[in-house]
This record gives sequence, structure tokens and C-alpha cells, in this order.
Amino acid sequence: MNLQGLIFQKIEHRIIAGTVAFLAMMAIIGWIAINEPGRMASFEQQYLARSIERGAGLFASNCTECHGTDGRGIVGRAPGLNSPYLFGHDFYGAIDRETSNLEAELNNPNTTEERRTEIQTRLTELQTERAAIGQRLATVSTIPGYYDPESPSRLTNLAWGSTLYNFVYTTLVHGRPASSSYWGQPMAAWIQTGGGPLRPDEGQDIVNYILNWDKGEDWTVEDLLAVNQFPIRPVDPATVVSGDVETVGTDVAAIVAELPSFQGDPQNGMTLYQGALGCLGCHANAQIAPLTDGTWTRVQEVRLQDPAVQALLPEQTGEAYLAFSIVLPHDYLVPPYGPVMTATFGAQLTYQDLADLIAYLRSQDQPIQ
Amino acid sequence: MLLMVWYTPSPEVAYSNMLAIMSNVPLGQFMRDLHRLGAEAMVIIVTLHMLRTFLTASYKKPRQFTWASGVVLVILTYFLSFSGYLLPWDQLALWAVTIGASMIEATPPEIVGTNLNLLLRGGPDIGANGLLRFYLLHVLLVPALLFVFTGVHYYKVILHGHSLPPKEENIGEDTAKRVPLDKRVYFIPDILSSEVLWIGVTSLILIVLVTWFFHAPLENHANPQSTPLGTTAPWYFLWIQGALKLGDKVLWGIIFPTVFLVFLFVWPYVDTAPSRRWAHRRIQLTVGFVIMSTLVIFSYMGLSEFGVVNSADVTIMHHLTMEPAHNHMGILRPVPYEELVPGQYTSREFAVEDSREAASAVAALNAEIDAEIGAAIPRFMNIEGIPPAATLDEDIRLYMETQHLPLTDLNFVTAPDAAPELRAVLEEFAHEIELHEDELYHGWGGVIITEVQDGLKRIDVFIYWQDVVVENGKVVYGEDGEPIVRLDENGNPIPRLNAQHIFIHRDSQYFAAPGT
Repeated sequence: MNLQGLIFQKIEHRIIAGTVAFLAMMAIIGWIAINEPGRMASFEQQYLARSIERGAGLFASNCTECHGTDGRGIVGRAPGLNSPYLFGHDFYGAIDRETSNLEAELNNPNTTEERRTEIQTRLTELQTERAAIGQRLATVSTIPGYYDPESPSRLTNLAWGSTLYNFVYTTLVHGRPASSSYWGQPMAAWIQTGGGPLRPDEGQDIVNYILNWDKGEDWTVEDLLAVNQFPIRPVDPATVVSGDVETVGTDVAAIVAELPSFQGDPQNGMTLYQGALGCLGCHANAQIAPLTDGTWTRVQEVRLQDPAVQALLPEQTGEAYLAFSIVLPHDYLVPPYGPVMTATFGAQLTYQDLADLIAYLRSQDQPIQ
Repeated sequence: MLLMVWYTPSPEVAYSNMLAIMSNVPLGQFMRDLHRLGAEAMVIIVTLHMLRTFLTASYKKPRQFTWASGVVLVILTYFLSFSGYLLPWDQLALWAVTIGASMIEATPPEIVGTNLNLLLRGGPDIGANGLLRFYLLHVLLVPALLFVFTGVHYYKVILHGHSLPPKEENIGEDTAKRVPLDKRVYFIPDILSSEVLWIGVTSLILIVLVTWFFHAPLENHANPQSTPLGTTAPWYFLWIQGALKLGDKVLWGIIFPTVFLVFLFVWPYVDTAPSRRWAHRRIQLTVGFVIMSTLVIFSYMGLSEFGVVNSADVTIMHHLTMEPAHNHMGILRPVPYEELVPGQYTSREFAVEDSREAASAVAALNAEIDAEIGAAIPRFMNIEGIPPAATLDEDIRLYMETQHLPLTDLNFVTAPDAAPELRAVLEEFAHEIELHEDELYHGWGGVIITEVQDGLKRIDVFIYWQDVVVENGKVVYGEDGEPIVRLDENGNPIPRLNAQHIFIHRDSQYFAAPGT
């Protein structure tokens, strides 16, 4: 056949060509094998980089609402992640290490007198340096949340038993609960494992992005002071004295009867609303809850006109409606919102707190959009 | 076999298995590439073999059944390849298979189609069940069937022998078994040594290809919520996708391929003329070539470029930012990291004919967006409770805030000379806006680069234009030959803005596709 003629007619030639092809194959595979460690490392680096890119996108669309576009946190809403505290950077670390080494040397009887004087001078120097850093760190106390320069690692303070990666990832999986001594509004579970919307690999992308904020030894005091909010340390339940504070409870008729004897302070109400109680965390976003702006107008013009609402109130006043909707938030839901508001305010608020809150909300009388 | 060692057919881990094969298994990428390329080569070679059999009319008596068993083998080969497509569980896999499987859903009557689809996908959408089914099809059922039918095929080949070239035979005779002894080619040693040689040579070719020229694609993790623009079926099923664009799903997606397959099966029994010579098979060859041309044309029509209309802004954005898929990627991605100098750049700089006017064009734009806009002129950002933006600058920044990009000011600058590749992309951007100047009426674009983290930059791309009347993807022109600008109730043109952003990491290593 012609085709056969074109290609090695003699069996010897076929054998030689086949052997050459086989040897060439082996040579190429060997060459690939030699280069494999480099290729695998490069793939890993490239994959991590692209994972960070995807994480950045996911963070921007899902996390910035609470943690800020720069990841430095939002007051009263969520703590900064782009923060030396999360990564456990110790601003005194280098100084303290040197100090303890020098002190050990001082305690060593073999140290010469000459060296001892040297060490003493250095120790004084170090103390001055430490004090200087302390002075620069002093303003950190104005930032809300918990931060102590002497104990600068979030993971250590939590006695966390695993890596930072897993700390951030598990937080994404199950979110964070809310309570009166913790955050005012919860962090949702974000990963499907915990019932959230994102896939596990997307969670890993977000963690890779967050961990990319780490500056290692290069964190500066300015980075720390740029943080808007530190994590809250939950109040130790053992230190809470119970029984001496009278809370309002959930009996709306009784609350409404009692309220007029308290003079509400709108300024104090605003502080509670935006800070400790964390109301603003949700009521600043019309997708989650009714906006703070125009609350009073809506109460007067819409809610009180609604027969369903009227039936639930002991008297038809704006104050009664607000008191009712704060202590029993799920008994009436403003469409289209769901039952997401914390229902424990009755057990948290004193009459004065409630009167302050209502006074503040009365000032929200912007026209309805 | 080797790849199976590192693979688990579950949506939770399939993709990370792929990553492990790529990053942690020595020769893992090599095996994956070889597997993928071998699969494509098998599809091509089997198809070419069928084509050769048709051209030399080797299917004629007594080999009709050999041909029919061959058709079964072709179908099985395609399905073997298709079922393997899903297993990496990346975007390419998920969407290619979704398209393929939804063709099956069109089978009439509805109850059959729905249930066939449920059987194959294991649910309304492909999920854990579907992946497991495709895996079992790929490693168990289809190979088993292939084994059986290969046996049948070979049995018939040995029984009847290879047909001789048509011109060496008399018409209507089959002399394969009557070749004179001295002219016969024997299995041992001639065929055997030839085959071993060919196995060696083709393996070498494949290995050379996967070493330097071909890598099996691995796109982002499958995401049922996000359909990438320009999704297609695997290339050997493109002809069905192309046919589907002609109209009815049932007719073109089910009946047409089925009729075609039946036609292939019965062809040897229809074309019973004894002669195998070309001169005597004019009609048959014509039919064959018409079918082949149709398939090629349909395959072309199956490409995403054909017959799918996207609006101009979406097309341009996609061209600039798309994530790597089908050997393409957004042209911004391969720009070297150092050239992505943080700043605000605009297409206006490159829309002027004389490059010396570039700086003044940028300055003019800055003045334009900072000018007060009248109260009646609509803004594209209407936020409850916030008064409408006083300037276009503010309007755009309000929009960017919804994209989580806080900006204190919009102030465009000319692109740095030290960034030739970034300049080239901006020039292309300006060029594309100009190409669509009727649809993107008075359109201009901006590119904003910001540094997000150490080693990570964010690039926002936006296009601003005035809305014009578009019907079926075509701009409608007025009597004066100009596009008809859409107006709001006050008679003012309606502004439009589309923005997209990507993040680029220093180590991401996006490389320009060959030939771009």
C-alpha cells in the first residue's frame, strides 16, 4: 500500500523509530518530573493570589457594610479586621524581648561589672523607648471596643486553640450572636456549612483576603489608631449584679402607664441607639429594617392609621407604638420585613432608657420619602 | 486510573481535588493534560475514521453491520468525553454540561423529557447527585459499553477483513479474504510492529503537545448562580447548539440529531449500489459533503459569537474584565502589575486624533463633570432622602459608592508614559466605545485604579452614555440619520452608567492568550 510505503517499510526501521520515540518520551517525562516542584509551587502561589482577588470581590459586596471598605470596622457595628490586634502584633514585643534577655544576663553571676553597667544603660534606654510608644498608643483608648497594648493579641485574649485562619473561617461559618453585653446586632452565618449563602471555597477566598492584610513586623502605631472599632469583650456574667435594676418587661399596658413619669433625654437616647444597643446597625439599611430617618412621621401617618396596629396598642399614641414595637418586635411586622429584631429589649432596658430612646425617635420626623 | 486516586465525585471536594492534583501531585498536571488531550484526540480520530470509511465506501456489503457498530462506538466516544467534562466541577464544566443536559430535557412528550433530565442530572439542576452519576457514567458504564462494542466491531473486522482500496477491486466484489498469499499483510510481525510504532509516535506527539502547547483548562469553582457570558457546549456538540438557534427546541435539539443518527445507522442498508468507486457514487458523496458542510456551519453557529446579542456596554466591559475562560480573558488582566499605577484615567485621552491634545481633552472632561447640572436633568443615582447630585462628578461617585468604592473626588489624569500596556488597553477601550458610538451616544469611559492591600489592586471600569432607542440589539435611527435619544418626561436625555470592577494580585500571573 502507498501509505505503508511512505512510512518505514522495513521492520528494522520501525523498531528503531519506535525505540527512538519511546526514549524521547522518557526524556521529556523526566524533564517534566525534574521541573515539577517548581511548577507546583508556582501554581500554589498563583492560586492563592487569585483566591485573594475573589475574596476581595466577595468582601466588597458582603462584608464592607459592617466591617468598612478598608476593613477597619464601623463604630457600633463590627470590629476592624485590618488591625494589628487581630494579627496579634505586639508593639512592645521587640523591646520586651530585649529587656528580658538583658535581665537574664544581669542575673547571671558570671556577667562582668563592665557589662552590667552597659546593660543598665541599655535598660534605661529601652524603658524610655517603651514609654514613648506608650505615649503614642495612649489615644487608642478613645477607640471603642477592647484593646490593651500589654495584651495585644486577639487570639491570646480569647484563648483560641487554633490558627488565625481557622478563627476567621469558623467565624464566617457560624457568624456571631448578639446579646446585651456583646454586639447589638448579630453577624449572620455566611457559609453553607452553617446555613449561610456562600460556598466553603468562597469562605476560604474571603479568609485569604483578610489574612492578606497582615503586615507581619511592619505594623505601625498609625495602623492601630486608624482602626475605628475594636472587638467587644463580653461582660463577665459573674460580675453582673442582678436584681438592682428594674427593667421594663414586656407588658405594654403597664409600660405605657408608667412611662409619662420619666423625662426622656433625646441625646442620651441617640447614644444608646447608635452605640450600646446597636439599633442603627440594622435601622440604617432599608433592606434589613425600616430606616431611622422619618420614624416618627411614619408612626403618626401610617402605623397608627393601621387597624391591625390599633388593635395591639393600649392607647393610640406614637409613644405607645414605639414602646410596643421595641419590647415586642415580632408581634407586628412592618411589611416586607421579617422577624429579625432582637426580642430581649424588655429585659435589658430601664424605664429611663426606654424614655430616652423614644425621645430620640420623636426627633426623627423627616418627611416620608 | 491514576487520576481517580486523587478524586472524589462530590461538589464539596471535587474542585479542591483538582487543585491538589495541580499543586501537590508530582506529574499531576501532566497526567491531567494528557487525559484531556487524549480524550479530544480520541473524538477527532474516531470521527476521521468514520469519515474515511464513508469516503472509501467500506461500509458496503458485507460490512454494513461493522459500520453500525462503529456508529455506536462514535456515540459512546462522544459520551465518554462529555461525561468526563463535568468532573473538575469548574465553571466551564458546569455550564457546558448544563447546556448538554438541557437538550435532553426537551425530549417530547414533556413527562419523558423531565424524567430523563431528572435521571441524568439527579435533580432539577446538576448537584451532588448529578456529579456522582456523571462520574459513574464516565468510569463505569460508558467504558463497559465501549468495551463490548469494540469487541463486536473488531470481531466483524476480523471476520470480513479490511476492505481493499476501491480501485484495486472489481465492482461488487469483496476480495479482502482472497488476496494472494505473497501480497497479504500478516498481523505478526508487520501489523503488530506498525501498531507499536504508531502507539509510540502518537504518544510522543501527545506528550510534546502537553509539555509545551496544551494545558487542560481549569476555571473558577462551579457556581450555579452565575452564568458566564458566552457559555457553550463542548466543541463536538456545538452543531446541536447551533441548530438550536434556528428555532424550536424539540425539532432542532432532539428530532434533528436523532434523525441524523438514524440516518447514519441505516445508511449502508440504503446505499446498496455495489460500486465503491467515487465516479459511481456522485449522489452519495454529494449527500455526504452537504451533511458535513451543514455540521461545520451549525458548529460555527453554535459559537457564542453567533446570534447572541449583548448591549454594547456589556460587551466592552466583558472584553476588558472577563475572568479567564475558553482561552480568553479580559485585556486588563495581563497588564503588568507595576503598570497599574493607582489613578483615574479616561478613554477621552485616547479619543482625540492628535496625541498632543490628549492632556487638554482630559482637562476638558474634568471641567465637564465638575460643572453644575440643572435641576431638571435626570441623575442615574436617585437615592431616597439624599438630594440629587449637583455635578456629574458627584453623581458618578454616588454610584461608585454602591460598588463599595469610596471616592472623595473624580479627577482624571493622563495615563503614565511608563505604562505602555495600560495605555494600549485604554486606547482599545476608547476605540471600542467609538465603534459603538451610536449605541453609546456621547459615551466615554473611565478606569479607576486603587490599591486595596499590599500586592492587591482594584480596577473599576465604567462607561457613561446617553440612552438611545435600541430594538433587538440594533440602534434605531431617526430621519436625520442620527440615533433616537430617549428622553425623560422633561425632555432631557437619560444618562446611563455601567460599571464593573476586578481585583488584580501581584502574583496572579495572567498571561495574554497566544495570538492576541
